[in-house]
Amino acid sequence: MRSENQSIEDRESRIAILHHLSSILKLLSAFILLTSSLLTSSLFSAQQADLEDQARQIAAELRCPVCQNLSAGDSPSELAQQMRALILQQLKEGKSRDQIKAYFVSKYGDWVLLAPPAKGFGLLVWVLPYVVAAAGIVLVLLAVRRWAGRKERREPVAVEPSLIAQVKRESVIEASPPTELESGSPRAELLQEQARLYADMRELDFDYRAGKLSETDYQDLRNALETEAAVVLKKLELSPARHAAAPKASETRSAAGKQTVATEKASRPGWRLVAGGAFLLLFGITVGVLLTKSVRPRGSEQDSMTGDFLTGTGPGGIGSSSGMAGMEMKGPLSKDLPALLTQGRAAYEKQEWPKAIDAFKNALALDPNQPEAHTYMGLILAQAGHADGALMAFDRALSADPKFPLALWGKGMLLYRAKEDLSGARDTLQRLLQSMPPGAEKDQLQKTIAEISERASRQKGDSKKAATGASPPLSQGIRGTITVDPKLKSKIDGQLVLFIIAYSAGSTAGPPLAVKKIEHPVFPLTYALGPESVMMPGLSLSGKVRVTVRLDKDGNPMTKEAGNLAGEFKKNPVAIGSQNVDIVIDRVL
Amino acid sequence: MAWRRVLITLAVILPLIGILAYGFMRDPRYINSPLIGRPATPFTVTLFDGNKLTLADLRGKAVFLNFWASWCPPCRAEARELEAAWQRFKDSDVVFLGIDIQDTEEDARAFLREFNITYPNGRDLSGKVAVDYGVWGIPETFFLDAQGRITYKHVGSLGSALIIAKLDEARRGIVSTKEGKGAYSSVR
Repeated sequence: MRSENQSIEDRESRIAILHHLSSILKLLSAFILLTSSLLTSSLFSAQQADLEDQARQIAAELRCPVCQNLSAGDSPSELAQQMRALILQQLKEGKSRDQIKAYFVSKYGDWVLLAPPAKGFGLLVWVLPYVVAAAGIVLVLLAVRRWAGRKERREPVAVEPSLIAQVKRESVIEASPPTELESGSPRAELLQEQARLYADMRELDFDYRAGKLSETDYQDLRNALETEAAVVLKKLELSPARHAAAPKASETRSAAGKQTVATEKASRPGWRLVAGGAFLLLFGITVGVLLTKSVRPRGSEQDSMTGDFLTGTGPGGIGSSSGMAGMEMKGPLSKDLPALLTQGRAAYEKQEWPKAIDAFKNALALDPNQPEAHTYMGLILAQAGHADGALMAFDRALSADPKFPLALWGKGMLLYRAKEDLSGARDTLQRLLQSMPPGAEKDQLQKTIAEISERASRQKGDSKKAATGASPPLSQGIRGTITVDPKLKSKIDGQLVLFIIAYSAGSTAGPPLAVKKIEHPVFPLTYALGPESVMMPGLSLSGKVRVTVRLDKDGNPMTKEAGNLAGEFKKNPVAIGSQNVDIVIDRVL
Repeated sequence: MAWRRVLITLAVILPLIGILAYGFMRDPRYINSPLIGRPATPFTVTLFDGNKLTLADLRGKAVFLNFWASWCPPCRAEARELEAAWQRFKDSDVVFLGIDIQDTEEDARAFLREFNITYPNGRDLSGKVAVDYGVWGIPETFFLDAQGRITYKHVGSLGSALIIAKLDEARRGIVSTKEGKGAYSSVR
């Protein structure tokens, strides 16, 4: 009993140990799994981070093509972001740093490198600083040598003994300094130098007699001074007014001699002053003109501040700089926007174009998005025959106010008359029609739209004739106009596809006889369903058909989903060859 | 002595003024493309109608490749001219292809609708195609000959006269030496 119990206990404990063990094993394996996965994931993320780091480094060496002085690494622009993504992708593909940089250089040229390559014009950037530094050092060395050279020149030089004798003679005589030649000409300087040296000699003699100097010192100093004075004397002999060489002679100088020295003195520094002043003035004017003409206020964050006449990138903020300048000239009178507009309108009515342009320009300077001013500018431009400029002005007006009637009218008529863009014109005028109060004007507009539609359909026929060689004879097709019920207009989304479907009149089921697909239809739409739209080869359009249309959301003619719009010809079936098969889309499926 | 000094001063200052003037006279953001005369990089785009178009499939035809965005005013300015040119050339051995960059699909579709553009257009979502063609300002247009070589590049809006002339050159395989320039706006 006991042993039995024991054996049972044993078994139980063994089982418990086994359980324990297996749970430990499970835990262990889970732990290993976890750490290994953690390890690999952290390895992976480390690798990823490393790649991203490399990508950033490469981007930092590339110029952002749409920025100024920003690297592709620093720029927040969309293109720079895309460049960074491309770099990362190429790194993942295993491309090297040089390969990636070479890829961008092959697309954008060396321009894209922030550090230009050391060749061609780029070499200048690398070399010039060193050249300038070297030139600077050479310049300093030269200057120092010159200063040192000046002192060296004072060392005794061999001079003619006759000159020394002359110096000895003249130095004893106390002469009045040449006061009238105080400065200016080199000759006057020499004379002054000479007078100074003679005075020094006399002082030296006095000191020697007073016993302040030893015999040898006196002789050395005296010799040095005499040599120096002799050199000066030599120079004086060589200078033009030889007869006025000695200070003694200055008293006997002729009036003519005096005059030449005087003019020499006055003219030289004056000439320098004038030339320097003129150069400074010219430099100032050039820099001033260049700066004001080539720098402009940024029109937007994307805009550059260089531009206009030098770079030819065109004005950035239209009306901001030129308009402002005009306004300042006009003074405080034209600060009031409504007044400006009235003034402009009045001038426009009287056909005073320059006055009208001025007024609207000033209005645009006050409010760059003023739709009326843009519209009138457009009308004036259209009058002058600048259709493209006018169209731009109308578009600007419409971007500020999409329903501005005058701009819609101007754009529509311009597209119709000048640009021959019939569908665009019809589109624009239709938009105007929607917001117009009923009246004679609206009727007139409707007439114009009808006229455009008619011309468009005629033109379509013509172009088809030209394209296929011969227009399908009417006997083989049907034509008409498709319109949308005004109540359903709000449900039309431009992304829809229109199907014009003709079923054989006899059969109620089965595939359609002919289908025509029109993407992004614009209503009212003139259509022609001819033999080219027949579904099955061999069949022909003949007899009577039922015509329906469907505006499909997904563009798949096989499915009919809820929300599709449909309509059919009210007098179905219709004989092939009929005109005016006009259909109104009036049902929601 | 004085004359020499003036000459030396001028010799130092004039080149400096020259460099300054050169710097002012350039648009620092204008990039001369190195791609003219080189083979066009192959790509595949998904067109707005859902089909895929591969450039290599157009070998044998001259290609008019236009990069645009709905927010760019010069692109708007040229849109009508481009469509008119397409209508003129569509029955000949010329293919027009528009690539919309940095744009939303909705805006791009509205743009195509507004100008009734019928030639194939696709979107470059990653910017890879744009970078492959060194695009930095739009509109940018590349003319490719039948061998897929870039014969001409134009930055800025195009007029019909230039389109006709350059397409004619592309069809005959004549490579221009320099790119052309009109009004453009910078890529974002």
